[in-house]
Amino acid sequence: MPVPRQRSAPSVPDTGPAIVVDRLCKRYGAFRAVDDISFTVRSGEVFAFLGPNGAGKSTTAEVIETIRAPTSGTVTVLGMDVTKRKADVVRRIGVLPQNFSSFDRITVRESLQYYARVFGSRADIDALMDLTNLRDKSAALFNTLSGGLKQRLGIAVALVCDPEIVFLDEPTTGLDPHARRQVWEVLKGLKRRGKTVFLTTHYMEEAELLADTVAIISNGRIVAIDSPARLTEKHAEQMRLTLKSIDPAAAGLIRNLGFSPIPMGDDDLCVPVKTPGDVHRILEAIQRSGLALGGLDVRKPNLEEVFLKLTSESPAAGDRDRAA
Amino acid sequence: MTPRIIAANLGVRLRSFYRERSAMFFTFAFPVILVLVFGTIFTKPEHLNLDLRVQDNSRSEASARLLGALAAGDAFTVTPVPVDVDATQYAKEHGLNLLLVIPKDFEALQQQRVTGPRAGVPVPLTYVYDPSSTSVDTKIRLLDTIVAAANQQATGSPPAIRLVAASILPERYRFIEFFVPGIIAMAIMTSCLSNVLNMNAELRQKGILRKLATTPITRADWLASSIVYQLILSVVSTVAILLVSYFVFDVRLHIGIWLPLILFVEVIAFVGIGMLLTPFAKEAESASAVANAFLFPMMFLSGTFFPVEMMPAFLQAFAKLLPLYYVNEALRAAMIFVDDAATLRSLGVTAAFAAVVFVAGTFRTRWDEGT
Repeated sequence: MPVPRQRSAPSVPDTGPAIVVDRLCKRYGAFRAVDDISFTVRSGEVFAFLGPNGAGKSTTAEVIETIRAPTSGTVTVLGMDVTKRKADVVRRIGVLPQNFSSFDRITVRESLQYYARVFGSRADIDALMDLTNLRDKSAALFNTLSGGLKQRLGIAVALVCDPEIVFLDEPTTGLDPHARRQVWEVLKGLKRRGKTVFLTTHYMEEAELLADTVAIISNGRIVAIDSPARLTEKHAEQMRLTLKSIDPAAAGLIRNLGFSPIPMGDDDLCVPVKTPGDVHRILEAIQRSGLALGGLDVRKPNLEEVFLKLTSESPAAGDRDRAA
Repeated sequence: MTPRIIAANLGVRLRSFYRERSAMFFTFAFPVILVLVFGTIFTKPEHLNLDLRVQDNSRSEASARLLGALAAGDAFTVTPVPVDVDATQYAKEHGLNLLLVIPKDFEALQQQRVTGPRAGVPVPLTYVYDPSSTSVDTKIRLLDTIVAAANQQATGSPPAIRLVAASILPERYRFIEFFVPGIIAMAIMTSCLSNVLNMNAELRQKGILRKLATTPITRADWLASSIVYQLILSVVSTVAILLVSYFVFDVRLHIGIWLPLILFVEVIAFVGIGMLLTPFAKEAESASAVANAFLFPMMFLSGTFFPVEMMPAFLQAFAKLLPLYYVNEALRAAMIFVDDAATLRSLGVTAAFAAVVFVAGTFRTRWDEGT
């Protein structure tokens, strides 16, 4: 099969969007897995698709990856319609599918060589193993690898065709915290190399740590899309100042400043505040009054709060699995 | 279809096969073991030698001549039984299925038959036998033949009718020569069907299919890889079966251009059936059940282990609907009877069948939306 190569202008920095999803719907019978969603992924960004299990993350990803056909709407990857130019699209994307698996009795090196041959790519297998920290496992059979190693191999396999966009579908689901951190290191490496990354996950930490843009999906619809910082700013109204082992008299003092302290037991007080300036005012008042203070903790709002708030607002979210 | 991709798939599948010993065993060793076991059971020794007990109550020149005739052919090893015992009782006690009793007046009766008043009356020769024994018929028939020859010698007249044997086959053949082509066909069928079903179930169940769907591999690449892989296994297993049957049982079959052609068509046919059955075998566990449900009736009804002619008429009619029947017929026509017309006929039926199931299987195989 001839490979159409459009190399008129060799590797011009791609300023156009990497992925454009326009009014995408995917229905299974009466069930709307993906319900009229639209978004754009910019070239070079890490885009995280965040949602509870069954929200439609993987279905959306699989339509973009050309595995599934959309019911309606269009998906354009690097300017190509995925339903019309599947053969061209697959050569320029790298995919780590959900629960990546390879042939049981094939070694790490052989798996990489196999996929490199399939893509007709001259990828440097050793460099890929170095990137994913798999060098010392190169001769291990796939069925002897742990979950974390399998995922890292899956990421290496996704990179054999030197893709412009890397899709990672729940790359750390089911991994222990140590293995998860190792996968994150690999993802940060991808980010540094300027790859466009489309990541689906139900871990807030992961999105917060890695993503430039986060889209929160619930019941097949996007409920919010923005940078993690702006999302938390927009949707989580308050920071929480916790004052530990403080004199109970402080509650009145703080109330006089116009805040609403909440006693937490163990002489702790929790004060919802809006700005760092509020924290400053409260601490200054306590210092001036000479009341004893055991310790303090200021918690910024995080994506988890935004996520729980947004996904619980949409109907029927209660019976869905919540992120761990 | 891309040769580079087919070669990559083949590399992975052959490596996996080589590293899985049980697959190796069932593909190569199992058919060879079948040939060894059935060959040993059914191959008659060159010199059939049966034990024959004789109670010689006559102890005369005439009885000695008879005993000589019995022992002359290689058929019997004659062992004497004491004269002073009751023959029936003795046979019972010693578990004999046949005991020949030569009467005391054997010689006298023989002489009287030629001269004297009882001329022309045959001399009676009694045998005690156990009708429940399965091998006793063969012994009695052999005995009949030898006695008939002795009769004829005694009268000195040439036989009125003589049987001349003319085999329909160019050479002498034995059961094992019939059996080997059947085992070749069975081994290929089993390997194609279970490999296709197991591979597809594994790809689907483990999600490898989802990964492969995001690569440039097309359905045509995958099917071509499967066929080439099965052809390689088929050739190796056929060569193993032929070598073992040649060296152990001296089976010499005709090996010509038909053999690879038949193997090729059989592989297409059973890979096609495998693809058609794939939707019924979504998990590895159900894959082997589906494969067996299909394999066993085919194996027993298509003339693999015994000729179809041994079955009742309705089963024979049913056998003629099974593809393996035509593969068996084609292989035997090509390798035993060396009959080009018959080979072509059976191969034609197999090829037509293969084309239909392969095309239908191709359309049923879903490559995208692999979950």
